[in-house]
Parts: sequence; C-alpha cells; structure tokens
Amino acid sequence: MATIREVAKTAGVSIATVSRVFNHPETVASETREHIDRIIAELGFSPNGTARSLALNKTSIVALIIPDILNPVFPEIAKGVEDVVHRRGYSLLLCNTESDAVKENEYLAAFLGRRVDGIIIAEGLLDRKGEEQVLGKGIALVHIGRKRNDTWASSVYTDFELGGFMATRHLIEQGFKRIGIIAGPEGQAEQLDKLRGYERALSEAGLPLDPDLVSPGDCEIEGGYLGAKKLLNAASPPRAIFACNDLMAIGAMDAIKTAGLRIPNDVALVGFDNIRMSALVDPKLTTISYPAHRIGTIAARLLFDMIETGTELSEREEIYIQPELKVRRSCGHSGRLQEMFN
Amino acid sequence: MDLSVDYVGLKLKNPLIAAAGPLTRNGAMMKKALDAGFAAVVTETIVTEVRRNVRPRLVNGAAGMGNIGLYSDFTLEEWESEIAQVKEAGGIVIANILAHTPSEMSYIARVVEKYGADAIELGVAAPHGEGLEVLSSDPDRMYGLAAATVDAVELPVIVKMSPNVTNLSKLALAVERSGASAISAIDTVRSIIGVDLETGRALLPTYGGYSGAAVRPIGLAAVATIAQTVDIQVSGIGGVENYHDALEYIMLGASTVQLLTAIVLHGYSVVPSILEGMKRWMARQGHESLSGIRGKALASLYSFEELRMEPYTARVTAHCAAQHCDACVTGCMYEAVVKDEGIYSVDKARCAGCGLCVSLCPEKCFMLEWGP
Repeated sequence: MATIREVAKTAGVSIATVSRVFNHPETVASETREHIDRIIAELGFSPNGTARSLALNKTSIVALIIPDILNPVFPEIAKGVEDVVHRRGYSLLLCNTESDAVKENEYLAAFLGRRVDGIIIAEGLLDRKGEEQVLGKGIALVHIGRKRNDTWASSVYTDFELGGFMATRHLIEQGFKRIGIIAGPEGQAEQLDKLRGYERALSEAGLPLDPDLVSPGDCEIEGGYLGAKKLLNAASPPRAIFACNDLMAIGAMDAIKTAGLRIPNDVALVGFDNIRMSALVDPKLTTISYPAHRIGTIAARLLFDMIETGTELSEREEIYIQPELKVRRSCGHSGRLQEMFN
Repeated sequence: MDLSVDYVGLKLKNPLIAAAGPLTRNGAMMKKALDAGFAAVVTETIVTEVRRNVRPRLVNGAAGMGNIGLYSDFTLEEWESEIAQVKEAGGIVIANILAHTPSEMSYIARVVEKYGADAIELGVAAPHGEGLEVLSSDPDRMYGLAAATVDAVELPVIVKMSPNVTNLSKLALAVERSGASAISAIDTVRSIIGVDLETGRALLPTYGGYSGAAVRPIGLAAVATIAQTVDIQVSGIGGVENYHDALEYIMLGASTVQLLTAIVLHGYSVVPSILEGMKRWMARQGHESLSGIRGKALASLYSFEELRMEPYTARVTAHCAAQHCDACVTGCMYEAVVKDEGIYSVDKARCAGCGLCVSLCPEKCFMLEWGP
C-alpha cells in the first residue's frame, strides 16, 4: 500500500499538503486538491491508523519513564510529552521508578519484549550498554535530565550544577554568610550536581564549607521539613537555606514557621524547579526555573524525529535548557526588581 | 518604476514586509497580508511551548498601541501546514522564532526550515515576559544564539533587535560576526500605555510593548545606528503609516520596511497606498529604483562634536493669513517672534536660531538664514 510520502512525491507537493487534503481540504486550492485526490485513488492510499501501523511495523505507542510521580515536576513533563504525542495519534505509557534501578530495568525489559516505538526516560539510571539494547531493537530513545557525555540517545538537558550555583550565589549576594542546604539523595546525580553548585558558589565567595550546614533530604516535603529542622537546631543555625527542590523548600517553610521564625526576615529560602505551587505558597518561593512542560514537549519532538528518521548515531540531538533564577519573596531580596519586571 | 529589492537573497517585488504579530498568526492571515500587496510576511513568534495569552492585552492610545501579548498559540507542529499554505500560494515566509539557548533555537530553526520557510528571524526582543534584560541586550548571548542558528540551517538568518538596550552598535557587531544576513529593528518599546484615573489602575496590568507612529523616531535612530555600524542588511520597523515614513527608513539605510500597527488601526489599504505613494514620489524625483536613495540620508548625520556653530537666525518670508494661529509666538521660547497689528516679525537680537518656528508654522512662513 502507498504511503503519504509516495503520494506527496508523485503529486509533486509536500506531505503537509496531502495531509491537509484529508484534514482541512478547504485550505487546499481546488485544482491542487483534485490532482492529489486522483493520485490518492491511483496509488490506493488510505490514511487508516491501524493499516499504517501494520504496514510499517509500528505500535503507535511511546513510553515515558519518570522517577517520582508525586513530584509535580514529572507530571508536568508528562503533560508536555503527551501534548505532542497525542497530536501525532500516538498513545503514551507512563512508568514510575522511584529512582530504583531494578524497577527501571523491569520496565525497559518489558518494552523491549512488547515493543514500543520510542522511550523517553527522565533522570534515568540507564547506562550506555542499556541504551544499546534499546536502540538496537530500533526503539527511539531520548533522555531528560543532566548532560550525558557518554550516550547514544538524544537528550534534553539542563545544568543542575549551574542552577545550584545560581541559587546559592543569589543568597550570597543578599549578604548571607551562613547558608544551609537541604540536599537530595546522594545516589541521584542531578541532586549531587546541585550540591556541587552550592559548594562552588561558597568557595568562589571565599566562604567556608561547614558540614553542619549540609542536611540530607529525600526530595519530598517531609524530607524538607526534617532537613530544615535539623539545620535550625544546629549550634549556629543558618540565616538562609537552599532546598534542592521546591517540594523540600515547601517542607522547610513549614519547619521554619513552626519554629516561630519568619521568612525571609529570620530565614531566607530558595528552592529549585519552579513548580506551580511555588508561586502560590506564602511567602512566594524564590527558585530556579526548570521549565518541565517545555522540556517534555521538546523531548517528545526529538523522539518523533528519531522514530521517523531512524536510530542511527548521526541523528542524535542535544538540546540545552538554561536554568534561570526566579526571584520572589522568600529570600529577603528587598528590591525584588526581577519579580517586578518579569 | 522598480520597487523590487534583493533582501537576504530573497527577491522581493517591493520593500514592504508584514511584521510578526497577530496579523500573521496563521496561514490564512498571512495570505491576506500578501494579497494586500506585502512582498513577504514574518510569522507570529514560533516557540516550542505554547503560552496562553492574557486578556485583555491590547490598548489603543498615546498615539500608538500598547500590548502585552506574547507568542503564537499554535504549536510548532501546527505551523507546518500554516507555512505550507502560504508557500503553495507562492508567498515568501520569514519564520520568527524564539528560544533561550543556542541548541533550542537551532532546533526550531531546522524544523521551520523543513516546513518551507524562506528565512529565519530571531524574535529575541520582546519587552515583556522576558524580564528587564531582554535576550538581545547581551552581545555574547546574542552572538551565541545567532551563530548556532546560522550553523544549523541553510536559510538566511535575521536578528530582530530591541530599542530597550544601551549600546545597539555593540549588539549589531555581534550579530554581524555571527554570520547572520540582516538585522530588523525595532521591536516594540517598553511602556505603560496609560492610567485610568477613575479606577486608579494602569490600563494594562504589566509593562508592555509600545508601537505605532510615536515610536518611528526611535526606530529611525536604531536603523541609522545599525546601518552606520555594520554592512549586513537592515529591515526598518516602527510606526510606518505612509510612503513618506517608509522612504525615511530606506534613506537611513533600510533595505526593507516592516509594519503591523498601521494595518491594525487603518486597514490593509495602507499597503497599496504606500506602494503607490512611493512610485509617484520616485517618478517625480526621477529615481528608477530604490537603490538610488537607500542610505542617502546617512551622509547627513554627524557626531555631535563635528557640528559647527553657524550664526543662523529666523526670518518671516511671507505675510501670514492664519491670524488666529499664533503658534510661532506661543512656541518661541526666546520671545523673538512678535506680532504687531497682524504682522509677524523676528527680533534678530533675541532670536537664538533654534529653528522651531520653521517646523511649527502650518503656513510655512519662516526660514532660517545665515547671519544676524
């Protein structure tokens, strides 16, 4: 059976034009439309989804693997992916790994057997060998997360180290010298990057690294609460805190308020991610923007580029999204100039 | 009479281009602009992520228009058929795109190239939604975005510049160094369009972009600055309403002229009327093509310190019939213009040669002469 590509080629028009003959015929000049209709009849083209997927050995299903379905960043990514996927007439499978390598592997193994056309994996643990297995089966693969130097797949990445640096430097610029951090789990490279950024900002400002000011967290609200409590109970508590994600920052807010302290007057606070909730809490949270929805849409596009053109190495793409500081009211930035003019 | 222009390698039948905005938001609207006589259209800004536009977002006033609208509400994919519609009709489409990193910008550029766009314009200069320091205010960042896009596509790349910057020359040099083919200027001017005194509220709820006739002098200065700094082509934008305005931009070095607000406020008939007016003026002046006048006025611009002290004073050249007007008397800050029994004259001892009366008088009764 003929493909839309063959119809377009024979008719001497673009694929978009053929597609519009089916979807929006009123936008195609009548002469062109009749000409294309003739070619469609001659070649026996039918835009039927099932027929097409059988002919092309495609499933019209893609998968998205995320580490934490309760962290609003990842549903936001999923929405971005789904916006693009749905328009292409595909369905989306969503898998949650809890950043557990075993769980991630189980999902991947299932996909290799049952076939999906492509996989997007956010902050995944998959190594290069695992990638080879996926790509070797002709399944497209896109990473979301930090920059990977050793990869065969396309990726949409941001610089978490730079984000951590920007958050900490912003607090230093406000005059704070004792700045605490509520870090993410050590096993997660993205979270470790943010801690490295914090350390670099302190050392560039000539401030000492005090292990008492580093509190471990779990990337969830509870961890933020406990992390902040630990920092506030230190012998010499910090006047400012950088929480490595917004959920932990929200937990920290609770701990700070419960201790009878005010934000930002007594303790300034900066988060990371810019989830929707961060603009709703009181006081509104200063944070580093991680445009999750946008990242999702771009990742899905890269995935379809790969599905359409093949999984050869030359086709892989890397798109960088720059972290940006969103200044709101939680950090004692008295002028709040940026907030006003954004 | 030949109004055709070779702009970034595109053969345009005339120098008028429909600027990026709501009037170029889809294929049907772009075709409408081309039917009105525009030689090419620039799409509304195409981004990877659709952001909803706030309501309301446009206010007419202060001799122009204030707007806080953002970008296209079509997805990247939807632009394929919108651009294809214009290409099938034989139109020339410049895709205006926006992203914040070089890799994302070049990705969108490659996609719209595949969709059939004829050139790319980087829409990095919107004065709202992007913070005070717009993307285009940092020469290094500007260079990075433009150079990556130039590398990524075969198409000519144009960079749109903001008037809300301190040193336009530095930015223009960065753009030229990136390998871009042209600069378009200006995007809208950061503004507050007004305040409603009754409610005590600003007319729009955030800082926005100002366009329309009032921004033309700002656009002219930007175009002249760019034309005097770099060798790449310039597209003049800002407050063009008639052939006179368009020719001003061309005489200051613009190859093409873009407009949008005048179409919104006065309708598509502005386009044929500008083209007719241009042809008539050129015929009267004996110019066969625009190349004869392009950049002609740049030679009349000097740096401030090069200006000479010339002993000009004003003189009344004719008896004024408009006795009720008195604009010259009111407007003379040196109290040199006097009216005595219906006769206007200039007190040479008081006249400071400022020249305001020459442009102020609707009857054109004043001139400047050399010497006291």
